[in-house]
Amino acid sequence: MNELITIKNLSKTFNKVEAVKDVSFKIKKGEFLGIQGHSGSGKSTLLGLLAGLEKANSGKITYNGSDLTNMNEDELALFRRENVGVVFQSFNLIPTLNIIENIALPLFPLNISKNEMIERARKIAKDVGLSHRLTHYANELSGGEQQRVAIARALINNPKVLFADEPTGNLDSKTGKKIIELLKELNREKELTVVMVTHDNEIAKNSDRIIEMKDGGVIR
Amino acid sequence: MTKTFDYAWKEISKRKKKYMLNVILIALVVVMLITLNSLGTAYKEASRLPFEKMQSSIIIQKNGNVPENTTGAVTSCSLAPIRNNLIDEIETIEGIKDISYGLSLWVFDNDNFKRVLGVNWDDSLGTKLKAGIVEGEIPQSDDEVLIEKTYAEQYNLKIEQKLEISEQEFRVSGIVKGYGKDIIASDFFMNLESAQGIAFDSKNLQETEEFNQDDINIIFVDTEQTKINAVAGKLKNLLNQESLNGGKTPTGKTIGSYNIYTPESFENQISSLFVLSDKLILFISIITIIGSVLIIMKSMSHAIIQRKKEFGIMKSIGFTKKDIQKEIGMETILQVFAGYILGIIVSFITILLLARTKISISIPWELNPYPHFLASNPNLVDTVQTYLLPIQFQPAYAILSFVVVIIIGILTAIITTNQINKLKAMEVLKNE
Ligand SMILES: Nc1ncnc2c1ncn2[C@@H]1O[C@H](COP(=O)(O)OP(=O)(O)OP(=O)(O)O)[C@@H](O)[C@H]1O
Ligand SMILES: [Mg+2]
Repeated sequence: MNELITIKNLSKTFNKVEAVKDVSFKIKKGEFLGIQGHSGSGKSTLLGLLAGLEKANSGKITYNGSDLTNMNEDELALFRRENVGVVFQSFNLIPTLNIIENIALPLFPLNISKNEMIERARKIAKDVGLSHRLTHYANELSGGEQQRVAIARALINNPKVLFADEPTGNLDSKTGKKIIELLKELNREKELTVVMVTHDNEIAKNSDRIIEMKDGGVIR
Repeated sequence: MTKTFDYAWKEISKRKKKYMLNVILIALVVVMLITLNSLGTAYKEASRLPFEKMQSSIIIQKNGNVPENTTGAVTSCSLAPIRNNLIDEIETIEGIKDISYGLSLWVFDNDNFKRVLGVNWDDSLGTKLKAGIVEGEIPQSDDEVLIEKTYAEQYNLKIEQKLEISEQEFRVSGIVKGYGKDIIASDFFMNLESAQGIAFDSKNLQETEEFNQDDINIIFVDTEQTKINAVAGKLKNLLNQESLNGGKTPTGKTIGSYNIYTPESFENQISSLFVLSDKLILFISIITIIGSVLIIMKSMSHAIIQRKKEFGIMKSIGFTKKDIQKEIGMETILQVFAGYILGIIVSFITILLLARTKISISIPWELNPYPHFLASNPNLVDTVQTYLLPIQFQPAYAILSFVVVIIIGILTAIITTNQINKLKAMEVLKNE
């Protein structure tokens, strides 16, 4: 398998805290990568850097040959739109939009028709197992359902990689397992590269490969 | 664009309560701007109303001595005779469109008291009177007279009938309609020469003021709207050159001085519930606008900052600064439009209601001459004219307020967009 993302000597400092310290590794196309580590070890910061939500102080991230660390804010936004899906521990849905609109939100700025937008959202909703309740609002859904909406939203632009930061953190273990199964299925069937942060060993076991972080550095 | 609109519409309609204040405040700015300015215009209009009937912009009179007794013919309100050649001097002033003049007399006959006005039938004052004739025609000779309708009814006078005014015989040539409370109200209207004859022959008058055969005592000057004050200023210079130290008239005016009335001199004679001066209107407008703008901006940016997490989400899924700007802009436009439409409706209703309120304008006694000491009915000496407030919904002010609220909207959108764009998606999403 060839590489999708190359990380080289990446560092990120907040004030004096070195959240990510001289990290280098590679992410292969189509792999399911787990990132583990104790609280405060720098997992979320690393994920933010990889997804282009955070700017590195030094080091380099190359994504399919293009350098993320040189992009400005708007270039990063466009990069995320085209290449990256992000899912967080909290589901982060927009309360004034219904489910189908939440899923379609990344398409709002694009130059496509409303019908096409809704059609695509419907299709993705089906892929994540959410064919009903599409006109409901987030507060009317269970946590598991909300996370499915968030995953569908992350996938609507056909990204090559999905970054998930503790996607099961707010769910009970049974629901959490189902979400992981969904991610695995997407990884398998759509060849979607998945990078998932978790501190749960059980969940981490689902990954093809695990990176372990400590004090901002990768130790394994 | 339609997607931006859909989202903005959804946001606002789903959180109506939150945006209501903004909409109401914008409406308030619109209502304030439109009604206050319309009121200001209405007062200017109102002060012209008494002049409008006379179709003139400036009225000139001269204050004279009070007669010793009330017998025979005297000039009304102890006005002094004005020499006819003054007209030639006035005519040289630039900006004057038309001059007409007359002689207003009080005649104390044995049978009753008569108000008499002598006019030229072919000048604008005469033409105006002619238009009011309801029966008969204007006097064809110096011994004919027009009678005011209510007076004719009161004394049962008919066309062709003969009557005596100041010991001269006149024949009724026609009846003219109601000038009861108008400026220079009169009972009889005759050729200027006839009135001048009566005045010249009056012993009482000649003993009070020297009266020449062709003197007059009231001049109406019509100018262009914009030149009223300039012409009035020049008239003041021309007429009140000499300093006077004579006595005072019953209304406290200096004998020998000229009264020069303009709509502006009536402005502070207007009384109503809503008297507002220009300065006060400007002051209130500015205070309201500044106050509302501050609150609107605060409230709008507060509403958006409260949603910073939502904007963080949008950024994380690939909304650029411009995309977010569009979204905020659209939401702002919707609120501004809603507020503007609400404001226009409320202003319209307010103005309709204001247009039903009455204003009264007190007319100087000399302009509505009636010897109050003779009045059995005090209403006859009432020198207060009542009008409906001439307020109108002015599209110009609707446009002005539109420009103002659009500017408010743009400023708010710029400020809030900047605040949002400063936020980093990652941080917003982390702080749960
Ligand atoms: N915006 C920030 N400002 C200052 N310090 C920060 C910021 N973000 C992260 N840090 C610090 O960087 C370090 C790594 O934080 P990070 O959130 O990446 O840890 P984590 O591994 O995701 O922890 P957890 O498992 O609790 O989510 C921590 O010490 C944290 O306090
Ligand atoms: Mg974390």
